[in-house]
Amino acid sequence: MRRSMTFALPARGFALASNQGWVGLALVALPVLLLAWLIIYPIVSAVTDTLFVAQPDGSSALSFASYRFFFSDQYSRANLWVTLWTTLVCGALLLAIGLPIALYLRFSRGPLSAYVQGLAIFPMFVPSIILSYALIRTIGPNGAVDVLLNAVGLPKLPSPYLTPWGPVIGLVWDNLPLTVLMLTAGLGNVPKTSIEAARDVGASPLRVLWSIIMPRMVNSLLVTTSFAILGIFSSFTLPYLLGPASPEMMGPFMQRTFSDMNDPVNALTQAVIAFGFCLGFGIFYVRSVARNRGGV
Amino acid sequence: MNRRDFLVTATAAAGMLMLPRFASAAATTIDLYSGSDANIIDFWNNIVRPAFEKAHPDVAVKITDAGDNTGLRAIADRALAALKTKTDPQADIFETFDSRLPAGGADAGLWVEFSAQNIDGFDRVNPLAFDGKYSLPYRGSQVLLAYDKTKLDPKDAPKSWEQLTVWIKANPGQFIYNRPDKGGSGGNFVRRAIHEANGRNPKKFTIDNFTADYANRALTPAWALLNDLASSLYEKGAYTAGNTQSIQLLAQGVVTMTPVWSDQVLQAIAQGVLPETTGLVQLGDLALCGGFSRMTVFSNGANKDAAMKLAAFLLTKEMQEAIITEIGGFPGVSWDHISDELRRKYADVIPATIPTFPAGDWETTINDGWYRNVAPGISRT
Repeated sequence: MRRSMTFALPARGFALASNQGWVGLALVALPVLLLAWLIIYPIVSAVTDTLFVAQPDGSSALSFASYRFFFSDQYSRANLWVTLWTTLVCGALLLAIGLPIALYLRFSRGPLSAYVQGLAIFPMFVPSIILSYALIRTIGPNGAVDVLLNAVGLPKLPSPYLTPWGPVIGLVWDNLPLTVLMLTAGLGNVPKTSIEAARDVGASPLRVLWSIIMPRMVNSLLVTTSFAILGIFSSFTLPYLLGPASPEMMGPFMQRTFSDMNDPVNALTQAVIAFGFCLGFGIFYVRSVARNRGGV
Repeated sequence: MNRRDFLVTATAAAGMLMLPRFASAAATTIDLYSGSDANIIDFWNNIVRPAFEKAHPDVAVKITDAGDNTGLRAIADRALAALKTKTDPQADIFETFDSRLPAGGADAGLWVEFSAQNIDGFDRVNPLAFDGKYSLPYRGSQVLLAYDKTKLDPKDAPKSWEQLTVWIKANPGQFIYNRPDKGGSGGNFVRRAIHEANGRNPKKFTIDNFTADYANRALTPAWALLNDLASSLYEKGAYTAGNTQSIQLLAQGVVTMTPVWSDQVLQAIAQGVLPETTGLVQLGDLALCGGFSRMTVFSNGANKDAAMKLAAFLLTKEMQEAIITEIGGFPGVSWDHISDELRRKYADVIPATIPTFPAGDWETTINDGWYRNVAPGISRT
């Protein structure tokens, strides 16, 4: 059977290869078409709708007015600023919390690490609306934390509920599983042999982390950060329920502009600006993936 | 399974799926969409629908939860597009909707114009409740102040705006209201401040007298009143993201007083979410505003006539009294058309008048003005 196949190959080789090419293209076509239809087209239409604004007489003219308004409006800028602040603080906190957990999961064995892993993944299965109400009941004023502190005679903590720190706590909790999973996967690239070799020549644990593990982790750190940042930048539920009325993050701000203010042009402008920032973070991600594959 | 078997089974399965459509095609099915809270959907499913289907055996009602107002707007947009192409919008009636939306819809003839000619009992409707001719009010609700009787003696409860502000300032951190666009309890508290800043005269605001200039003059002093209160609110000026969260803070004993919807607070007390020691008070100098829920009927709906019957059915005495007893709401008809027994029982919460505030441009201007002028507040440290 196999033998006859190899005999047949030279004659049919060309036809087979071109067939496979078509199949490959057809397989790729579906996601590419979906991407073009559901992502690229809305982006292009949003950008043109905000730049070519419909005039009262029905025609449309090139205008940067909505962008000028956004960047000259102190209220809008405060919202953009708090979104960037929340995103960066969450990104830093996620790495600071996720990396030790990932290191522990990578280098420890035994039943305890399985439980830790389970616990770290758990938030992935909790919908954010439920998380929000649960957080109001625990870290909110007179919540479970206050009750426990009170029981041991300690004073109440100032509650983060309805302050910019409310969404930060919620978002870090919500994004932790993805961060830990991706960092653990990245740590899989670090061969145990090089760590053991470094230890054999007397490197301290900190030295191992800095000189052996970190250089191999740069890529997955970049990927993880950009993933977390992209998710947090566009988050809606947690900042909506836990955050202050003002400044608000871009997600609730866009929704409010669109449906409460009946102002689609300004909502689209906010969306395009948010997209611009996410594009920046996205380029990081694409570049590091491409570098990983030996591309760029 | 061979190919022939597969085809036979698949066809049969597809046929089964079609069956309910054929079955319901025999009788008229009204497609009703609601963007209201679960208590209202339950009311429609458990009270209105059985009663209506009993009175009209040939008509069925299908109640769909559209989620929120945005969900309804998507369906209204679709219906407006269907009106232009003369196709079936697959929707007949909205439980509550602002007939000014979608933009240009009313002018294009999307909504049925209600009048005594096409609705039985139209003249029984409370005249205060109307908001244009394309929507039919059928239930109302009022905003009250709910407070914790264990912390505030009922005889000291504020009865006027002035007493309320004195109390708020004397008890910093004990009052909170929600963002005006996120729920009517905070929204109507803000509107009460606007009334206060404009001589407590609700007649000064109508749907037609909105101009940007007038709004600026009328609203600026109200923002000053609210900013003056801000530093005495919970967390020196925090605002919850909805009616429910305000009730939650009251239930957790974090604040002593908060504005609430009458129907929501009565239900919360009945369900034990709020304790029995929850007191309710209305301001005597001018009540906090109320709001009415108004049905809209599509003029191009396939079951328009049946939908109009349903709309009229909601104005019957039976349904109007159910609104009071089942969901703690206010009737859409005048109180004269409610039985004496019920009127006596609810005498305490029946307002002599429910002040209302027009929606439309006023609403967006108030919401945006509040976010820009009051929400940022002063430094909260």
